[in-house]
Amino acid sequence: MTVLADILTILLNGLQQGAIYVLLAVGLSIILGTLKFVNFAHGALYLIGAYLGLFITGQVPLSNGQFADWGIETYGIGLGFTAALILVPIIVFIIGILMERFVAQSFYDRPDTDQILVTFGLAVIVQELLRALLGGNSQPFPQPGWASGPIALPIIGNFPRWRLGVIAITAVLVMGVYALVEYTDFGLIVQAGTLDGEMVRLLGIRLSRPYLVVFGIGAALAGVAGVVGGPLANVNPNIGTEQLVPAFLTVVIGGVGKIEGAVVAGLMLGTLQVALIQTGYAAWSQVGIYALAAVVLLVRPQGLLGSEVDVA
Amino acid sequence: MTLLQTEQLTKQFGGLTAVDEVNMEVEQGEGVSLIGPNGAGKSTFINLVTRRLEPSHGDISFKGESIVGMDPHQVVQEGMSKSFQTASIFPELSVKENATIAALAAEHGSFRFNFFRHRNSYPAVDELADDVLRSVGLYGEREAQADSLDYGNKRRLELGIALAAEPDMLLMDEPTAGMSPDETQSTVDLIKRVKEELDLTFLLVEHDMEIVFDISDRIVVLNRGSVIAAGTPEEVQNDPAVQEAYLGGVEE
Repeated sequence: MTVLADILTILLNGLQQGAIYVLLAVGLSIILGTLKFVNFAHGALYLIGAYLGLFITGQVPLSNGQFADWGIETYGIGLGFTAALILVPIIVFIIGILMERFVAQSFYDRPDTDQILVTFGLAVIVQELLRALLGGNSQPFPQPGWASGPIALPIIGNFPRWRLGVIAITAVLVMGVYALVEYTDFGLIVQAGTLDGEMVRLLGIRLSRPYLVVFGIGAALAGVAGVVGGPLANVNPNIGTEQLVPAFLTVVIGGVGKIEGAVVAGLMLGTLQVALIQTGYAAWSQVGIYALAAVVLLVRPQGLLGSEVDVA
Repeated sequence: MTLLQTEQLTKQFGGLTAVDEVNMEVEQGEGVSLIGPNGAGKSTFINLVTRRLEPSHGDISFKGESIVGMDPHQVVQEGMSKSFQTASIFPELSVKENATIAALAAEHGSFRFNFFRHRNSYPAVDELADDVLRSVGLYGEREAQADSLDYGNKRRLELGIALAAEPDMLLMDEPTAGMSPDETQSTVDLIKRVKEELDLTFLLVEHDMEIVFDISDRIVVLNRGSVIAAGTPEEVQNDPAVQEAYLGGVEE
C-alpha cells in the first residue's frame, strides 16, 4: 500500500460515509428550509427505512421482544434487496405524507421548541415500539447479491463493491432531487416559498400541496438512507437517533435549505470522520465533526452555502 | 361596468374615524387616483379594499359581488392585484423566474395537474412571463438576478408580477416612492403605456400631483376620511374645496 492508495481509500470510504449523511441531510434541509419545520423525527424515518428494508429483504430470526414472546420466530418476507431498494422509498414517502398531514401541519405556526418536542417524542415512540416488538439486539443486514464482494480498483486494489454502490445510488438520487428543484414548476414554487411563503400565497398559489410533496421526498430519502446504510452496519433501534445529530450538523454546515450545501457538508463530515478513524484517531472522530461544525459556523454563521437571510 | 364600488365605507380606530362613509366607484378601463393630504385616510381605504382591514360598517363590492368577508388572497384571485409599497420580489431568483412564478399563479394557482413538468414546457406560462417582462421593459434583463436590478427596475418587476396575474384591476400604492426623477418619469410612462396596451383599470394612491394629473382619468380627493371632491383632473384642479384642503398648508 502506498500513501496515495491510503489517501484514495480514505477518500472513497469518506464519500461513502458522507453519502449517508447527504441522503439524510438533503431531506432534513429542504424540510427545514421550505417548511421551516424542525424535524427531530427524521432519524426515525431512517430507522423505519432500515427495518422496512430488513423486513422486505430477508427473514430475520427473532430471539426476544414481544413478537418472539408471541411465538413469531422470524421477521420478514424475503423479497430480496432490490425489492427493498424500490419499495422502501415509496412506503416511507407515504409515511412522510401522513406525518406532514397529521403531525407537522398543525405545528408550522408554532415555535421551534414545540416542533422539536413533538417530533422528538414521535422519534422515541417509533424507536421504543420497534425495540418492544422486535427486541433490541442488532441484526445484520444482508448485502445485495449484485453488489457483494470486492471490486479491484486501480491504485487502491480491492474495495467493497457495495460501498461504491452507496455512493452511486446517493449521487443519482441527489441529482434527481436537485433537477426537480431547479428545473420544474414544482421546484420554482418551492424555491419561492422558501424565500417568501407569504408572498407566494398572496399571489394566489396554494402551497399546501407542494409542501406535502417536499415532506414526502425528504422522508423517502431518509428511508433510502436506512436501506443503503443497513448493510454497512448492523440495524438496531438506536440507529435513528445516532444518525440524527450528524444529519443536523450537515444541514447547518451546508446552509439551511441548500441541496448543494448538504452535499458538500455531508462529504466533508464523512471524509473527516473516516480520515480520523483510519489514521488511528477513532476516539477523536466524534469530536472532529463537532469541531468542524464549530469552525464553519464561527466563520460563516449561515453555513457554507447558506444565504445571508435565513431561518433562525 | 362598475368594477369596484364602496358604499358608506367606514373605518373607525377607537374614537378616530379614518374613513368616513366613503362612496366611490371605479369603472372598467378607468384610471382613478385617490389623493389627499397626509392622514386623509388613503392607506386605510386601500387596506379596506384589499381586505387587510375589516370595515366598521359599509360595503365593498368587486365586479358586483360583496368582498367583505373574503380573505386577502381570495380578493387577488377575484382579479384585484396590488403593487405593493415595499418592493415585493423574490430577490434571489432571476427576473424571468420572478415573472414565471406570477404567471404560474395566474394560470395554475392550485397546482392540481402537471405538477412535475419542466418549467419551460408549458407555453402559456412561459409566454405570459415573457409578455409581462416585455411590457414592463425588463425582457432584456430576464436572466439577471432580481436583487441586482436598480431600484427603479425592481419596482418595474414588481409591477410586472402584479400584471402577470392578469388582474381586472390593479391597485398601486405610491408606485414612484423613493425613485429618482428619471425613474419616476419612466415609471409614469410605463403605467400610461400599460394602461393603453392592456386596457388596464387602476386605482392609484400617490402624493405627487404632477403624476396624478398626468395619468388619471378621474381623481377622488379625500380629506379627513371623507370625499371632498371627485371628477376629471381639470375639475378637481379648479375645485375650491381641494385648493383649500391642500393650500390650507397640511402638505404639498
